[in-house]
Amino acid sequence: MTVFYERFERHDHATGLKAHSTHYCPGCGHGLVHKYLAEAVEQLGVQDRTVAVSPVGCAVFLHYYLDVGNTQAAHGRAPAVAIGHKLANPDAIVVSYQGDGDLASIGLAEIVQAAQLGLPLTVVFVNNAIYGMTGGQMAPTTLPGQKTATSPHGRDRTMGAPLRMAEMIAGIDGAVYVERVALYDAKQRVKAQKAIRRALETQVAGRGFAFVEVLSECPLHLGLTPQQAEAWVRESMTPVFPLGLKKDAKVEAWPAWRPPSFDPQRLASVVGASTEAVPRFASGFPRTAFGPDVGIKFAGAGGDGAQTAGLLVARAAINEGFDATHIPSYGPESRGGTSYADVRLAETEVRSPAVPSPHLLVAFNAPSLARFGPAVLPGGVIVYDSSLVPERPPGLEHARIVPVPCSRIAHDLGRTAVKNVVALGALQAAASLFPDQSWLTAVRQALADKPALLPINEQAFAAGAEAIRRVEEVVA
Amino acid sequence: MANRKARPTLSPEICKGCGRCIDACAHHCIAAGTHVNPATGLVPVTLDLERCSACGLCLEACPEPYGLLPEGDEAAAEPTGQKRPPAVEDQPDTRVALPALRPLVVKGTYASAIGALLAGCRHFFGYPITPSTEGAELMAKLLPELDGHFVQAVSEVAAINMMYGCGGAGLRSLTFTSSPGFSLMLEGLSYMVGAEVPAVVVNVMRGGPGLGNIGPEQSDVKLACRGLGHGNTHAIVLAPATTQEMLDLTMLAFDLAFRYRNPVVVLADGYLGQMTGKVTLPDELVRPGLPGWAVHGDREHRPNLVSSIQLSEADLEAHNLRLIAKYERMARSEQRAELYEAADADVLLLACNTPARLAKGAVRALREAGVRAGLFRPVTLWPFPIDALRPLLRPGLRVVTVEASHGQIEDELRLALSHAGIAPPPLAHVRRYGGVLPKEEEIVSRVLGGPERGVA
Repeated sequence: MTVFYERFERHDHATGLKAHSTHYCPGCGHGLVHKYLAEAVEQLGVQDRTVAVSPVGCAVFLHYYLDVGNTQAAHGRAPAVAIGHKLANPDAIVVSYQGDGDLASIGLAEIVQAAQLGLPLTVVFVNNAIYGMTGGQMAPTTLPGQKTATSPHGRDRTMGAPLRMAEMIAGIDGAVYVERVALYDAKQRVKAQKAIRRALETQVAGRGFAFVEVLSECPLHLGLTPQQAEAWVRESMTPVFPLGLKKDAKVEAWPAWRPPSFDPQRLASVVGASTEAVPRFASGFPRTAFGPDVGIKFAGAGGDGAQTAGLLVARAAINEGFDATHIPSYGPESRGGTSYADVRLAETEVRSPAVPSPHLLVAFNAPSLARFGPAVLPGGVIVYDSSLVPERPPGLEHARIVPVPCSRIAHDLGRTAVKNVVALGALQAAASLFPDQSWLTAVRQALADKPALLPINEQAFAAGAEAIRRVEEVVA
Repeated sequence: MANRKARPTLSPEICKGCGRCIDACAHHCIAAGTHVNPATGLVPVTLDLERCSACGLCLEACPEPYGLLPEGDEAAAEPTGQKRPPAVEDQPDTRVALPALRPLVVKGTYASAIGALLAGCRHFFGYPITPSTEGAELMAKLLPELDGHFVQAVSEVAAINMMYGCGGAGLRSLTFTSSPGFSLMLEGLSYMVGAEVPAVVVNVMRGGPGLGNIGPEQSDVKLACRGLGHGNTHAIVLAPATTQEMLDLTMLAFDLAFRYRNPVVVLADGYLGQMTGKVTLPDELVRPGLPGWAVHGDREHRPNLVSSIQLSEADLEAHNLRLIAKYERMARSEQRAELYEAADADVLLLACNTPARLAKGAVRALREAGVRAGLFRPVTLWPFPIDALRPLLRPGLRVVTVEASHGQIEDELRLALSHAGIAPPPLAHVRRYGGVLPKEEEIVSRVLGGPERGVA
């Protein structure tokens, strides 16, 4: 009996008879199912690789008996725990052992997902039509009319009909092998043995998800003798839960999983980290009137490119060795709603990343200008898209306000989407944050995967700067 | 043992008299017993093997592993004194040098995900929830490239239990979630603490209660510090304040989780999750070993068990005492805090996560206004860094807690002071809710004697 512990040390510290006796009641089916599982593990030679996940319910103490790796799961969650085990070590043979309260009620979502994923796992489902450990309450599998502690007048229509799990699981594509068996006579027991072994074989061969439902006796809570309980399963349960093979799909085995990589070069490449230093062009933190901490807000409609513009500024500052943050804020919809980006630049460390009162505002539309323009700090700069806001709004005299027809310039360049880069060129020309090369380096980094877009972005940046110069000339 | 063609022998004290073997025997060799076994109070069957054909069907019918045994195997029922194999040694982690890499410019959830990869995590189990989802999305993209595994679970409940399985197998797993999802994970976290399973949960907190909104709140401090499911649970709770710390503390979280065999919670807020900043990468990555206790599904680890059930009250009390001793070790060794201008402070702002950055700005503004203000930022919310706070608590000091919750952080302060036997200094607070963070000016105004914000 190699797959059972020689002594059940975990069973009340193997006190007295508990060293060799299970905790199951006379006539309970669990002991047989344990035995057939142990036999299958032994016959397939997978004892060392097996992990048994025990449920909540009467089989919670599976780990008292089976000499394999053992994990005890929360109520209903054994299939999820089994998935964790299988993906941690695909060589492991993982068995989720569950009762009907566990699997067919609280753990419905978990068992359905496990079958849907179809990973090679073995589920042994013991259906005795009642909650055993909690004391004989109604299970999803309780028969119509059956009296239990929570259906004292018999299960009626208001309590629903029994749930046929094997049929349900067989209907899910990921399940490969599904069978329902019983224990009530020698013939059925032989079938049960074979089914449990096949469910394990299905996993050992890497074919996929296997599910065996075992109709089992709970004489104690049925109020029957063991022999009567066997007859009850045969006569009352099998008409509701027909025995037999429900599914045996012909599928290819899962391909072998490669072990995870911890190669430093590969990881660096995957996360997009480069060993190349970024050239610096600035001689120091931007000398503005705003001091060592500059707040910028880009505001527009979703799709205006406010976030991209904000990220480019943050990236340029970080490239130059400063600190920067960017926080996006979106309206209720990602397209067409409001979208604004808060950017902070700091010589050493950004403290407050939020920018309720910006030094610099780029507004892509009239509502953004109206909402955030008044919040710009005295002496700050407001760049706005004058293609969309034809009238210079009143009441913003506290700041330097610069109209730039970003959309029109971008349109003339042949790509409206670059209006945010036009705005950046304008912002740079108006506020002199970094050398042009700092900006263009950040743009190049952002477009590393789309180099074809680089020329038009460079033109957009230059055109934005040029537009400011024209505005300045007019003002002068 | 299966399908053995052998005559049975019976241990009467193991037999519960269920009688399945009686029907199994075509030769009627087995009969229901008539005498109560004094050792069990049950009535075992009786054997009369004169007509036995050694078909073995009775052996297959007996539900007890040591009930009916094939003749010659009876010895198996007797203890041979064979001990279980000794506990296997831990395979230690190794650290592998990374090339010098330039800083990344990434958002907080990305930084955290990359930190997990650097810490040797190759398994992610999660359920999408704003504002944490981008981290999961990045893991979904990157893990296959590292031959790791990403599973989008059917729910947060399933996700945390997948982590329980993966962590129980001795491997590093991560999830990203946000407040409502964290609530659902609490059951699993209790099991993890009970069964001593390591894992890292990054909770990018959002506004609550209920569905709330996706703005930044510090709404789950009480859950993470005081409410990790049922039972006497604790986990180290790390509170990053920058994108850099999203990476650094996620890496640290894995170290701590495996050092203590306990889940670790990284509590971020919606701002930190979404905020892009500069992230300097470490010099090394971790290639994880395999703990000796793991249920890994191999020969060496076969004797192991991951479980939180202890049926006997004495056993469960002893288990609790071991856990409590572990919490005490954590509390002694793992307190972390950042102090800013705190040494000479008359007013100490106490804040963590993004509000700590706003408070830092307020400290600067207050200093410029001539107020000796400082910041005390718990980096571990549990254990609360009382050892770093204690020396600052001189007479006359005022403490102003700045937080985006209804005193959840102040409560941690009050508990820590109480446990340490320290009379609380004068306490005030600036609190905002629902996705609104305390503003720098608001903090300054409150310190300068402004009114507490109330219901308008």
